This record gives sequence, C-alpha cells and structure tokens, in this order.
Amino acid sequence: MSEQVPRVLVVEDEAQIRHFVRLALEAEGCAVSEAAGVADGLARAGADDPALVVLDLGLPDGDGVDFIRSFRAWSERPVLILSARTEESHKIDALDAGADDYLTKPFGVGELRARVRALMRRRQRQGGASPWLEFGNVRVDFARRQVTRDGEAIHLTPIEYRLLAMLLAHPGQVLTQRKLLAEIWGASYVESSHYLRVYVGHLRQKLEDDPTQPRHFLTETGVGYRFQPDA
Amino acid sequence: MSRLATDHLSPRQKLALSVLACVLVAIVAAPLREVLDLANMAMLFLLVVLLVAVSLGRGPAVLASVFGVLLFDIFFVPPHFSLAVANLQYLITFAVMLATALITGHLTATLKEQAAEAERRERRTRALYETASRLAGALDVQQVREIVDGFVADELSGRCHLLLGDSPAAIRTAASGFSATLAEAVLSDGLRRSDQEAGQRIYLPLRAPMRARGVLVVDASKPPVEDELALLDALASLTAIAVERLHYVEVAQQSELQMVTERLRSSILSALSHDLRTPLTVLVGLADSIALAPAVPAPVLENAAALRDQAARLAGLVGNLLEMARLNAGSVTLRQEWQPLEEVVGSSLKLLGAALGRHRLHIDLAPDLPLLRFDAVLIERVLCNLLENAAKYSPAAGEIRLAAELAGDWVEISVSDEGPGFPDLIAEQLFGMFVRGSGESAMPGTGLGLAICRAIVDAHGGRIRIENLAGRGGRVVVALPRGEPPAVEEEA
Repeated sequence: MSEQVPRVLVVEDEAQIRHFVRLALEAEGCAVSEAAGVADGLARAGADDPALVVLDLGLPDGDGVDFIRSFRAWSERPVLILSARTEESHKIDALDAGADDYLTKPFGVGELRARVRALMRRRQRQGGASPWLEFGNVRVDFARRQVTRDGEAIHLTPIEYRLLAMLLAHPGQVLTQRKLLAEIWGASYVESSHYLRVYVGHLRQKLEDDPTQPRHFLTETGVGYRFQPDA
Repeated sequence: MSRLATDHLSPRQKLALSVLACVLVAIVAAPLREVLDLANMAMLFLLVVLLVAVSLGRGPAVLASVFGVLLFDIFFVPPHFSLAVANLQYLITFAVMLATALITGHLTATLKEQAAEAERRERRTRALYETASRLAGALDVQQVREIVDGFVADELSGRCHLLLGDSPAAIRTAASGFSATLAEAVLSDGLRRSDQEAGQRIYLPLRAPMRARGVLVVDASKPPVEDELALLDALASLTAIAVERLHYVEVAQQSELQMVTERLRSSILSALSHDLRTPLTVLVGLADSIALAPAVPAPVLENAAALRDQAARLAGLVGNLLEMARLNAGSVTLRQEWQPLEEVVGSSLKLLGAALGRHRLHIDLAPDLPLLRFDAVLIERVLCNLLENAAKYSPAAGEIRLAAELAGDWVEISVSDEGPGFPDLIAEQLFGMFVRGSGESAMPGTGLGLAICRAIVDAHGGRIRIENLAGRGGRVVVALPRGEPPAVEEEA
C-alpha cells in the first residue's frame, strides 16, 4: 500500500498522556496530531483523515462514544479507546458504537504499540482476504470450511465454525458479547451470554493447547472476546 | 347571657333559685293585690315560669309552675292565706294556669336545649374541622399527638394516647402500659373497643387508606354517648390519615436522601478514580517512554523499569482501594451471568501475567463443573488477589495450585501455596480491612486483598475461608452457590 507516513489522531484531555502517547506513536513511525476534546477532535479528524484514532472516553466537552458515532458516519478507520478499568459498560458502549479496541489505564507503551501495530496491519490487509489462515498449530481453510490442528481434521459444529469465522475475521479486535450473540444466534439471544461462553469454551477445548490459559481466543472480561493471531 | 350566669349552678341551686323567683313575684305583687286584676296576677306568674324555663331549664320550670299556682292560690285568690277557694271557677283558672305554665316551660326548655345542642354540635364540628386542618399541617408525629390530645381534652375532658405501629408486633411494643391484647385486636379487625377494667378507656383503630397505622386510646371523663363516639371515630380517621401522610413524607425524604447520597458517593468515587489514575497512567507511560530514546545507558533503563513497576503496583493498590470503597458504599451492582469458571481463571492468569512468573502454577479444574452465575470482573478480582497473595507468600519456584470442584450445592475454588500458612489466631480477622498477618511488615501490601475478596464473595451469596495445609502452606477456599444453570440447547 502507500508508503506515506500514517497519521494518527490522539484525542485526550490530559496533556501528559497525549505527550507519551505521541512519543510511542512516533517510535512506531506515525505522524501524530492531537486534540483535547470531542469538537476539536472531530474537526481535526475531518481535516487530517487519520489512519487511526486514539481516543480517551472521558473528555471534558462530551462523551467519547459521541465522537465515535459521529466519526463512524463518514470513516471506517480504526479507533483505539483509552479508558479506566471500572467502566466496562462504557467500553461496551464504545465498542458497540464502532470502536475497534481498547486499552485500560494505566497501560504500558509496549501494549500501546502492539495494539496500534495490530490495528494498522488489519487496515493493510483489508481487500486482499486470504482463503486460509494459520495460528498456533491450527490451519483454517475458509474455502473448504476445514479446520486442521497439527494436520489432523477437527470437527466443528456449524455454530462453532461460524463463531470461529467471525472471530478470525476481526483479528486483534475486541468483539462484544452483544455483537457476537446477535450475529451468530440472532437478536433474541443477546441476553443469553452463556451460549456464547459455552461455545467459546468448545473452541478453546478443540483449538487451544491449554484451554485454561488460551493464547488465541482471549477473554476481555466483562466486555467480550478477541482473536489474537500469532505475533 | 342568662346561660352564662346559670350554667355553673347545681340542680339544687337552680331549684332554689326558681322558688326564690316565685316568692319574689309574690312579694312584689302582693301590695298590688287591690289594684290589679287576678288575671294579670296569673300572667305575672306565667312570665316567671317562662323566664325560669329560659334561664334555668326544664326541672326548675316545672317547680315554678306548681309553686307559682300554689302561691297564686294562697296569696291572691280569696280567701287569702288559704288553699281553700271561694269560687269553684278558680279551679279552672288554676288548671289552665298550671297547664299553660307547664307547656310554656316545657316548650321553652326544649327549645333552649335544642339550641344548646345545635350550638354544641356546631362547636364540635368546628373543633373537628380545625383539628383536621391542623393535622394536615402537622410536620411530625409529636405534633399529631399534641393536636389530638388537645382536641380530646377540649371536647371530652379526657386524655388520649397514640399507639403507632402497623403490625401486631409493633403495636404490642407500642402498647406498653395499655392492654396489648385489645390494641392488637382493634388493629387487626378495625373495630373500636372499650376497656371495662380501666374505666372509660376506649381503643379506636387508626384506619388509613393504605393500612391500619395504629390505635388511638382515649380516657374519657365520663362514658361517651353515641355522638361522642361518632366524634371519636372521625378523630381517629383524621389522625390515621395524618399519620400515614407523615409516614410517606418520611419514606420520600429517606429515598431522596439515599439517592442524593448514592449519587454523591459514586461521583466522588469516579472523580477520585479518574484523578488517581491519570497521574499513574502518565507515570507508567513516561517511564516506558524513556526506553524509546536512542542510546539510553543501561542504569537509566533499569531505573525506568523500576519506576514503571512501582507505578503499576501503585495503580493496583489504588484499584483495590477504590474497589473496596465501591463495595463498602454498596453502590456496586453485580453483573451476574452464567458462565464457565474456566474462562475467568484464564483471564485472571493473563491479567497477572509476569507477576506469577517465577512460581510453578498448577491448574486443576474438575471436568464436571457446571456453569456458575457471577460477575466476571469481580470474581476475576478475587482470583487475582488470591493468586497474588499466594505468589507473595510462596517461596520462589514454589507451587501455586488453583483447583475447583463440586461440593454438594457449592462449587469450591481453592488457591493453595507452599508458604508459611496463615497465623492461626487471627484467621478470621484476616478478612477485615487493613489487617495483615503478623511479622509481615517486610511484605508490601495494604491488607485489603482478602477483605475485598470477602466483600465480593459475600455479594455473590458465597463463602470464603482459609485453611492451613497439613504439610506446609495455606489455602483460601471460595465457595460459590451452584444454583440452577440454564440449559444450553445442543445443535441438531
């Protein structure tokens, strides 16, 4: 794709946090523009068309979720959220509104860079979807709907396969319980989260080396799930 | 006017007064005997009867009638000073005079009584009305008591007591010094009763629109008559409405107060949380950023890493403190969902990450564990705290074992370590806030970990206990109720 330096917009009201996020992003090879509030951020996003937005949820002049809704009206570029740990419902709202991932404060620069890389990579991959995917010792062949682990065929039920396909389609991205339930079981199941949990458990049993310490099908406690491809 | 002057007289005095009036007329009229016609004399006596009836009432009027006719006969009808009558015609005069006097007296007295009765009723109605409007403005139960007491004192010259309570148990407590049995019966069936043993004591139910609010006890000075009972019923019903109104005012104030407190508390907590986390985020981020600069000497990198670790630990402590504050404030609503335990074990281990690095971890979850209903974020916090504790007190490379199994109606999750175990004596106290095992001052920590665990487990209706293992090490067991997990339909 383009070799231009990708531009990242950081919307965060704390100058010090903006400062070190900028350092981290610049180390990642990005150009950074900053905004301190929702209105400012949207104006800047409109002007710069950033490749990625890093967004704090608690802004002085409005809610980060409002920013996402407005932003999503005209842009599909990834949004990474920064938020405090106690605000699960807030995070879910933001993810359902169209955010792609979140980081819980306080977070390390390493974590931030990894998330940014993952989101940028996803952007580059768009368009050229591969008919197959590999992670760990598992290979998924989308064309033939076949899953093998160490070369051995693994039987998945239709729901398990759909769940796997949906998670794999959003590598590194957090999918909320609500989204997964509505997509795979239907809108009437959005409150029946135990279905989702049982089936994620099945996937881990079949595809993870140690289901209690999964490496690919990660739980975002209280929020949803994330498929983590190999680094 | 005459009523005011004569109301306080006793019946005997009234009779004496009526006799005196007749005698007075006789004395005044006697000298005029020769001048005035006998018929006019009779008129004078009739006038006296009328006046007596108006001023002194029925009995004195009857006496005045009879005594007047007697005096008329003796002093004015010839032969004078004798009951004998010269002309038999006078007998007719006497009869007519007596009848006229009696009827006049009776009618006047009746009219007067009726007027007095009407006045009394009007006064009571007015008093009741005033009481009603004062009760409507009463601000507390004490004021209601005073108003009702004042009414009973004014209208029935009695005393009254307000026994408040809307349940049999409450009314029994309130009825100390009174008949609890009667009060309870009145409350339960809503019928007024009188207590024969305690004189003129009446128990009236306080029936309000929503429910019976208590019992009004009235000690009257004399047995109340029918319309006084009706008055008391009306009073009781007004009192009941006032008491119920006050009850709901109190309920409304309570809930508003609670709401305001709750809102204040959670806004303080979230502001605090934000204000504490922001500098910690900056600290962690900036410490990390040092390594981004080119050619940083190794000692600086080490310092930056140490700085970051300390800041991260501080963030953990702040998290625990805030969590405890939220749990204590009761402002935590559990987001309980049915889920496999395995998942939250996995996410806890991932969250702890490097903190467990040097220890051997052994996970042993029974294969037949049912789905459990819990708040994943909070139970994750419990497991993290327990594992962190275990790691803190275990020797390096010691084994930490996390196990879960069915135990009757419970699922027991245990975290064991190979550390020194728990000091026996204070096993229970360890769950208190800021309590730490003895001789642990060298270990970092606030002593909040177990207290938070207990608060969270309690909120889930679970139990938590600590045990020392036979060989070496301690174990914390968290038991969560098994409940009835929902079915998950198998795919066709």
